[in-house]
Amino acid sequence: MPDHAVGTRDQWLSARKELLAAEKEHGRRGDELARRRRELPWVPVEKEYSFETGDGVTTLAELFDGRSQLLVYHFMFGYGYRVDQENPGCTGCSFVADHFDGVRPHLNGHDVTLVVESIAPVSQLRAYAARMDWRFPWVSSLGSDFRYDFGAAFTEEEQRSGAEYNFRHEDTVEPQREGMSVFVMNDGVVHHTYSTYARGVEQLMGTFGFLDIAPLGRNEDPHPGAWWHRHDEYEEAACR
Amino acid sequence: MSMTEHRIGTQDEWQAERDALLKEEKELTRRNDELARKRRELPWVQVEKNYTFDTERGTKSLAELFDGRSQLLVYHFMFGPPYTAGCPVCSSIADTLAPQVVHLKARDTTLLLSSRAPLEKLVAYRDRMGWDIDWVSSDGSDFNRDLGFLNTEEELRPFLEGEIPPTVVQMADASGTDVAGYVTEGPGLSAYAVSNGTVYRTYVTTARGLELAMAYYGLLDRTAHGRQEEGELEHWLRRHDEYELP
Repeated sequence: MPDHAVGTRDQWLSARKELLAAEKEHGRRGDELARRRRELPWVPVEKEYSFETGDGVTTLAELFDGRSQLLVYHFMFGYGYRVDQENPGCTGCSFVADHFDGVRPHLNGHDVTLVVESIAPVSQLRAYAARMDWRFPWVSSLGSDFRYDFGAAFTEEEQRSGAEYNFRHEDTVEPQREGMSVFVMNDGVVHHTYSTYARGVEQLMGTFGFLDIAPLGRNEDPHPGAWWHRHDEYEEAACR
Repeated sequence: MSMTEHRIGTQDEWQAERDALLKEEKELTRRNDELARKRRELPWVQVEKNYTFDTERGTKSLAELFDGRSQLLVYHFMFGPPYTAGCPVCSSIADTLAPQVVHLKARDTTLLLSSRAPLEKLVAYRDRMGWDIDWVSSDGSDFNRDLGFLNTEEELRPFLEGEIPPTVVQMADASGTDVAGYVTEGPGLSAYAVSNGTVYRTYVTTARGLELAMAYYGLLDRTAHGRQEEGELEHWLRRHDEYELP
């Protein structure tokens, strides 16, 4: 017998129905929060930001690529989890980004552009994207204040004296953190509508949703993150 | 697209409201963790029936589908025997499933697709869509029926005699079948554990329970305009190679 309660189909069904009621309540609460997000005031973006795409320099407005809404994922590059010279993309952000190409056609078809941004030379981003077999647009914000202004990168001064991350003051901050910022184009003016960080990013990924219905759940001992690898590194990790 | 009149605010106004919302988002995340814990507390139910599946590596039992891992997740993809192409909504789900397979394997979990259409049809469609995920045919077994993802004509009669939502007609049409043929299949997710060679069913979900497999909704729920689906007579989803993009 497994080290787990085993029941009859009827016992399972009655427990499952009770859980379903809680799941539905949770789903409706999620809808309610999505409505609240849409009610946030829009803030005009007054600063000019520029990004290197590899085919030239582009503005934040141009990143919309003709659509009305823009999602920018702040990808940690050259700094992060299991990063070294040969593996410059953060492992956690790589895991997040593995989810993007599958959703991108559907977002684009629904008037939403998804772009990834990092503070690194675009040639390095391209090389890493080729290795990971990613197709999403990935732009360099090197030399721009963009990522700092949207709370996912921190100056040396901020690293020493502390700064706000995820809308909370932290006494020590890392040079880069993960996050996503959302923009809307309104009458030719870019407005910032939403940003999310830390576990907020988890909601953008499908894998945790699946683990949350698997019998053993996320099963993350000894610590969350210990099990993630770049998608082309798992076998090597298993051998270690 | 016409812009709705929206409230414009200062950074400080936005920040105050964002902080309040963050508190509730955190609460929702913690509530989600709590639900995940409750799922793990459900009793496991031994699967006593011997189901067989047609796979690219021959006929396999449910236990063999685990492929040596301790957990199995099956996405019941709507692709019935009369379909000429997979359901577009299930296809959008599969778009997001395929890249996750390798990460789930690392958690000792096998994720695969199962449908009732013959295997060769499934494999041909998968090649078109470019997915790197295993797909098995449960054709000839009661697997879908026992989980509630296969409806009989009699069960469907009240639905078919009522007013059919236009999106159902749209999806049936896109799948190369009629409405009755389309809704004979139901979408779903089922989860299993294996312990000492015995397979247990641990969790089953459908309908909006499948949104966990629709990562684009998580993203759309964070955009300025949201899902924008209310009152739509035509569903906006297409197969990923069917969008007409500028």
